[in-house]
Amino acid sequence: MSQVLNEKPNIELSPIIASAGVTLNNRYLPPPEDKDGKLWVRASTRIQVDADSLYQIWRDLESIPLWQEQITRVTRTGERTSHWVMRSGDKTIEWDSEILADEPGRRIAWRSIGGDSDNAGEVIFEAAPGNRGTMVTVLQEFRMGKLASAWETLVGRNPKQAVIENLRHFKALAETGEIPRTQGQPHGPRGMIAGMKESSYGEKTATPPGLNRIAS
Amino acid sequence: MKALCWMGKSKVEVHTVDEPTILNPHDAIIKITRTAICGSDLHLFDGFIPTMEEGDILGHEFMGIVEEVGRSVSNLQRGDRVVIPFTIACGNCEFCKKKIWAACDNSNPNAHLMEAAYGYSGSGLFGYSHMMGGYAGGQAQYVRVPFANVGALKIETDLPDEKVLFLSDIFPTGYMAAENAQIQNNDIVAVWGCGPVGQFAIASAFMLGAARVIAIDRLPERLELARSLGAITVDYSEEDVNVLTALKDLTGGVGPDSCIDAVGLEAHSAQLQGIYDTVKTSLMLETDRPIVLRQAIQSVRKGGTVSLPGVYGGLLDKVPFGSAFGKGITMKMGQTNMHTYMKPLLERIEKGQIDPSYIISHRISLEEAPEMYKVWRDKQENVTKIVIDPWAERQQVPLSQS
Repeated sequence: MSQVLNEKPNIELSPIIASAGVTLNNRYLPPPEDKDGKLWVRASTRIQVDADSLYQIWRDLESIPLWQEQITRVTRTGERTSHWVMRSGDKTIEWDSEILADEPGRRIAWRSIGGDSDNAGEVIFEAAPGNRGTMVTVLQEFRMGKLASAWETLVGRNPKQAVIENLRHFKALAETGEIPRTQGQPHGPRGMIAGMKESSYGEKTATPPGLNRIAS
Repeated sequence: MKALCWMGKSKVEVHTVDEPTILNPHDAIIKITRTAICGSDLHLFDGFIPTMEEGDILGHEFMGIVEEVGRSVSNLQRGDRVVIPFTIACGNCEFCKKKIWAACDNSNPNAHLMEAAYGYSGSGLFGYSHMMGGYAGGQAQYVRVPFANVGALKIETDLPDEKVLFLSDIFPTGYMAAENAQIQNNDIVAVWGCGPVGQFAIASAFMLGAARVIAIDRLPERLELARSLGAITVDYSEEDVNVLTALKDLTGGVGPDSCIDAVGLEAHSAQLQGIYDTVKTSLMLETDRPIVLRQAIQSVRKGGTVSLPGVYGGLLDKVPFGSAFGKGITMKMGQTNMHTYMKPLLERIEKGQIDPSYIISHRISLEEAPEMYKVWRDKQENVTKIVIDPWAERQQVPLSQS
């Protein structure tokens, strides 16, 4: 630690590397660049729930349809493997996924192992500085082949925004037990322009159910 | 049910729509007994707030009777009489825990729209654009209230609706404006805009210890209400009145300790800068008309405070930031942290310290509301505040006036 300033009552020791590569030796690292057909997204949020509980919610793969957009089913197929189904309208894509690293209360990393989506990611849970909640950082990559762009078309959001929205849903569900929603509320007649606006505002993507009963 | 819908700029209509249903565990459905048109609804009417959609139900000032509650609401039951705050707050995020309720993290389903515009998203609001959540509002017969367990204020006395309705927005908003103005005992406070929020800011400034309040407007009925509270009024539309000079004259040349801008983004001015802003906003080179903000910054005393309850939406031009820096002023602003103020202000009403219903000038049915949006926007009929009974039958001409 620096000897220039001796009074730092609340400073924390920085780990050499932290937060899905957000810092390295106290230097901020920008998110990886998109290239060679690979899209990256890094998103973080701060949640007023402890890291262990958050890890458990995320690790409960079969409950992921409660908070991830358009994931309709996740089935455990082995100790570390699972089968994912995503649906938008009448179109469905499926893939298998494998957990690469699993550190309870701290970190989960995964990658797809065949099927209609080529993706990999990691989520890290760590106490925020000053113990102001838990910082949750997601780093996810998508390979943009034909399949990935099909996936994008399907979900109606670009995959980067979907990662950000899913993290937001995760936080809302963890902090409040529900995901804020307006779909299903009354409104007056919507003209053509309102329909276009709904699409461009991302309001046509179904909000995940949270703990509401899932309509079958 | 019947509901008032935004159908485009300067176009609101009553439509028959579905009744709301419980969509989340902390929801409640309220049967609305009284609702009001807010000055900030006129910004929507005039098309100043982006991300409205045709068919949106308007209204964010309302109260009523609990009709139904979601399974996670344990502190309310059917039949309770409640006032609902216009900001929606979850009660559990770090901002709610810090009591910055209007910055709630978890109540805006369209947070990404506000993040794109403002960097971060504030709480969801009722009936106030999709950027602010896209929630159906309360100028209707029923409304769905998310996080009703956190927001709803129970009224357990027999105070009439009209005395407590304004706890839903304008009374707390005026009060927070006065609190944000950092008023010390014996301060001189200037308030621009003597509409409902300005009225409550004036009343609250006196409650917080102001020795003199100077109220600035151009409409005689509003200036008269301000004088009824004890304020000295300045009519800026009078020939030869210069607001900056008036404020010097009324403060011994020092300037007000605090300036409250209860006007916001659609300020009017007959002077050159008013024309400048009107032209620029029509050409989309500027979104707001910050005439009052400029005056407030320019006229506040050295080291004074500018408080902004008036709504601003976007990009402002020619704001005298050098003056703000040069005098070392403080500026405080933002949507009202409703949940902090509702209960203490209800207590003031119960004790008879203030009767907020004094500002009501018109009582109408829902069917009359589209007409009254125009009447108020055009500053006709001496409107000071319009209250709607959504269950009343349309009254025949002339429009009811109390």
